[in-house]
Amino acid sequence: MTVAAPVKAAPPGRAEERRAGPLSRIRRSYDQFWYAWAMCAPVVVILGLLVGYPLVLGIMYTFTDATSLNVGHTIGVNHIPDTFSWVGLKTYLDILSGPDNQFWPHFWWTIIWTVSCVTVTVSLGLGLAVLLNRNVRGRSFYRLLLVLPWAVPTFVTIFSWRLMLADDGVVNSLFGAVGLGHLSWLSDPFWQKVAAIAVNTWVGVPFMMLSMLGGLQAIPAELYEAAEMDGASPWQRFRHVTLPGLRPVSSTLVLLGIIWTFNQFNVIFLLFGANNSDSVQILVTYSYKLFFGQTPMDYARAATVGILCLSILVVFTEFYRRWMRRMQGAQA
Amino acid sequence: MRRGIAAAVLATAIAVSASACGSSGSTATGSTANAGPVTITWWDTSDATNEAPTYKALVAQFEQANPSVKVNYVSVPFADAQTKFTTAAAAGKGAPDVMRSDVGWLPGFAQQGYLVPLDGTPAAAEQSSFESQLIQQATYQGKLYGVPEVTDTLALMYNKSLFAKAGITSAPTTWDQLKADSALVKQKAGVDGFAFNPSSYYAMPFLYGEGTDMVDVAGKKLEFNSAAAIKGITTLKDLVTSPGVAKLDTTANGYANIMDAFGSGKVASIIQGPWETTNVFKGASFADKSNLGLAAVPAGSAGKAGAPIGGHNLIAYAGSDAAHQAAAEKFIAFMTSAASQITIATKNATLPTRTDAYTAAVTANPGIAGFQAVLKAGVPRPAISQYSSLYGPFGTELTKILSGQESVQAGLSNTTVQAQKLLPDYAAQ
Amino acid sequence: MSATTTSTATKKPGARVRGERSLLASLGLHGVLALAAFVAAFPVGWVVYVSFGAGEFDYQHPQRIAAHPSLSNYTHVLTQTDFLTWLGNSAIIAGGTMVIGVLVSASAGYAVSRIRFLGRGSLMYTFLLTQMFPVAVLMVPLYKIMAQTGLLDSYPGLILVYCTTAVPYCAWLLKGYFDTIPVDIDEAGRIDGLTPFGTFWRLILPLARPGLAVAAFYTFITAWGEVAFASYFLLSPNKLTLAIGLKQFISQYNSQWNYLAATGVLIAVPAAALFYVVQKNLVTGLTAGGTKG
Repeated sequence: MTVAAPVKAAPPGRAEERRAGPLSRIRRSYDQFWYAWAMCAPVVVILGLLVGYPLVLGIMYTFTDATSLNVGHTIGVNHIPDTFSWVGLKTYLDILSGPDNQFWPHFWWTIIWTVSCVTVTVSLGLGLAVLLNRNVRGRSFYRLLLVLPWAVPTFVTIFSWRLMLADDGVVNSLFGAVGLGHLSWLSDPFWQKVAAIAVNTWVGVPFMMLSMLGGLQAIPAELYEAAEMDGASPWQRFRHVTLPGLRPVSSTLVLLGIIWTFNQFNVIFLLFGANNSDSVQILVTYSYKLFFGQTPMDYARAATVGILCLSILVVFTEFYRRWMRRMQGAQA
Repeated sequence: MRRGIAAAVLATAIAVSASACGSSGSTATGSTANAGPVTITWWDTSDATNEAPTYKALVAQFEQANPSVKVNYVSVPFADAQTKFTTAAAAGKGAPDVMRSDVGWLPGFAQQGYLVPLDGTPAAAEQSSFESQLIQQATYQGKLYGVPEVTDTLALMYNKSLFAKAGITSAPTTWDQLKADSALVKQKAGVDGFAFNPSSYYAMPFLYGEGTDMVDVAGKKLEFNSAAAIKGITTLKDLVTSPGVAKLDTTANGYANIMDAFGSGKVASIIQGPWETTNVFKGASFADKSNLGLAAVPAGSAGKAGAPIGGHNLIAYAGSDAAHQAAAEKFIAFMTSAASQITIATKNATLPTRTDAYTAAVTANPGIAGFQAVLKAGVPRPAISQYSSLYGPFGTELTKILSGQESVQAGLSNTTVQAQKLLPDYAAQ
Repeated sequence: MSATTTSTATKKPGARVRGERSLLASLGLHGVLALAAFVAAFPVGWVVYVSFGAGEFDYQHPQRIAAHPSLSNYTHVLTQTDFLTWLGNSAIIAGGTMVIGVLVSASAGYAVSRIRFLGRGSLMYTFLLTQMFPVAVLMVPLYKIMAQTGLLDSYPGLILVYCTTAVPYCAWLLKGYFDTIPVDIDEAGRIDGLTPFGTFWRLILPLARPGLAVAAFYTFITAWGEVAFASYFLLSPNKLTLAIGLKQFISQYNSQWNYLAATGVLIAVPAAALFYVVQKNLVTGLTAGGTKG
């Protein structure tokens, strides 16, 4: 039972194949196919039903002018037929180059937001993980406190941030005490952005930290010993042992972090409310506002922004994976 | 055995998803008419801690008087109610039989076919006893879709003793006077004379004061770019940057901060609605209730004073079957009867919607009496479904205008561009 | 279980090998960790502090609370509201999400880790894809499906919705964990006459406990504090979860922040307790999960 420690496993499947003859291999792969799909079926059914279907419908809506008025519905005796029409790419064009010019400011802010949040969160998470990975007295105590932002629902903690960041809140008192002056964290467009990134970082660090800590512990101690024997300085050890050793973990974490941050809904919505802070809304909150914040609800535009978010992330992920593969190739 | 366990696990997992697809159980709104007692669902959006007990007590009274009807009382947070109802109604499942609906939601609900017209039903039997503007606001394309439950409007609330300290004897009646009085209060009493809550609803008196509105429905025009609107918002911007007017608070806690400052005597006047009177009376400065002055909102250069009318209607969902609709109408009639309105007003200090509910006992509350006097200056909203949605873009741009991120003209023309998305066939000017 | 303890015990962090750290370095290390822990814990502590203020507006005047701390908010929440109903519902939904989410992501993760089958490569990518689309912007279609499948206003409905957000990550995580378990174990199971299910259930799952603990914690936390979906899909007052019950303290013009803070603290306690219970496994579980992306 002690084998579960991070021993590098042989690539799955390959060993079995070599041993089996061609006929039985075909039969087995057929069997295995059904076994595998049976085991994946629950996930696929759930995701297909609750994400796939809305997604397909959403893609359809983007080519229409659908709103809550013209999509057919029946309420008792009132039967409202489908009257929306197909408008081709008009909605996309309108959002990307329409006269209100709402998309691009939100888009650039979303990019800045994602890049800064992920950079800061990953660096802090990594830094703290490195510290926690050392033999520190009171390690589990620190770890417990450091993980609180993840364990407590954001609904509660972000309210706390709202109070602390208020004009006469604790943060400003603290800044005043060290002579940094009062800042309008929650109303000035620039400081709003800083506050949003700071709070999101606060929320996101614990998860990164724990995951990085896991990754660090998977790096064999012998590598460090060897490096030390070669006379590597602590920085060199970090640069040449820790970072490469973490790459399998961190590359996926960064990707997940980017996807989650790009579509992060709660922090901005809860920190600023819906109305008074237009410039701090990222694409997702902006699209939510389009959809829910008005009568009639604009299905077409909301879906279009959603699909644009998806497309941006798909394109990005593709590049990211290629880049990662090249990095790995270069390393080998 | 081993195989059995694994299979069982998988079967359970699949069964959950499968049962999801198969059965369609009954939801909150029962859709079968049966002979027994009918249970109607009511979504109440009132304050669950302070106001709901009064409504729950009335529900109990109603059930006692009508043994054939049971009321399933559901408290729904105000902020969620509109989207929750719209979503449920659009999907055709889960919507309540009766809902307490903000007056601004009604045209949208009615246009989308979610509501039952109440003309000629028991719910609207005493229509003539209600304030006429409120009935007008509950009407969409000639049909009555809601019965007014509570109402409100905006007024100028002021701290009499602070005004007296500054030598001001009567409430300002124009924005210019308010500006001068604020400077005076700051000078003499050392506190801010006025604080403005930077949201579009509170800016409406500045538009009405110039004789305009967000839209001109008859002329099919958006009015944001009109000279009158620009003048009104310029007046507002000038006011909030004047000496003696509190620094603008655009944060999410801004509203609460202003109320706190007013209650504790750090601000001498605000524009506010009757729902806040109870809280104001809890403030240190208003231990003596007579210290609260209430006046109609100041007038603009056109010499007109006007404030938006808010409040809530009780509406009936069109998707309910006949038995539920009949019960719902009965319930609405009961909740809006004079007797119920008197109870609600005395317990919750909200304004009744019918003239015959303003009894001596009700107007003994100085807050209600003061607001009753300014109710006549209320301006009903035009009955187009998009109207309330205009507050959103208008509010966003208003914040930018007032905090100096853009000029009045630029902000209002940006508002117009966004408003045209909602009302594409309206002229922008 | 022994896997966990041995792996943490035998794993030597670099520092220990190199012997004693200088006093200065030690102070610096503790200084940085203490500062970080303070920043992490302060906002949570602030909510706890505000929850002791009896007055509705005390949160605006925090100095008043220290003078008159009171437990009245807790008394109110526990006795005057449906707190216990909400707690029960949250426990059922978060627990259900945990069990179902872990089971389905483990079985999918195992299949992808072990069995070569058509669609295996694109499956994980599809999971990732579902995370990229903000489903919230299509609430009405989603609500319609829930209504048509009878999942509206039900525990299973919400559990499945939460699974859609938690399972893709957990499946990826557990796949990584299973990758670290030697294939020889599966071989042994097959020779014993076990089906792939049997191998998975009898042999692999018990070995994957640390990984399962992470997945369990992750799914639980996802469901425990979720607000947006719950506020649409729950209709009956007796089905509300804590996060939605909490919203009853926010009305059109008024928010009872004192009650909100107290309820928030009460919500946080079970989550923090669960973390405390699983925290050892948490790090080990992430350890292995990460090694194979």
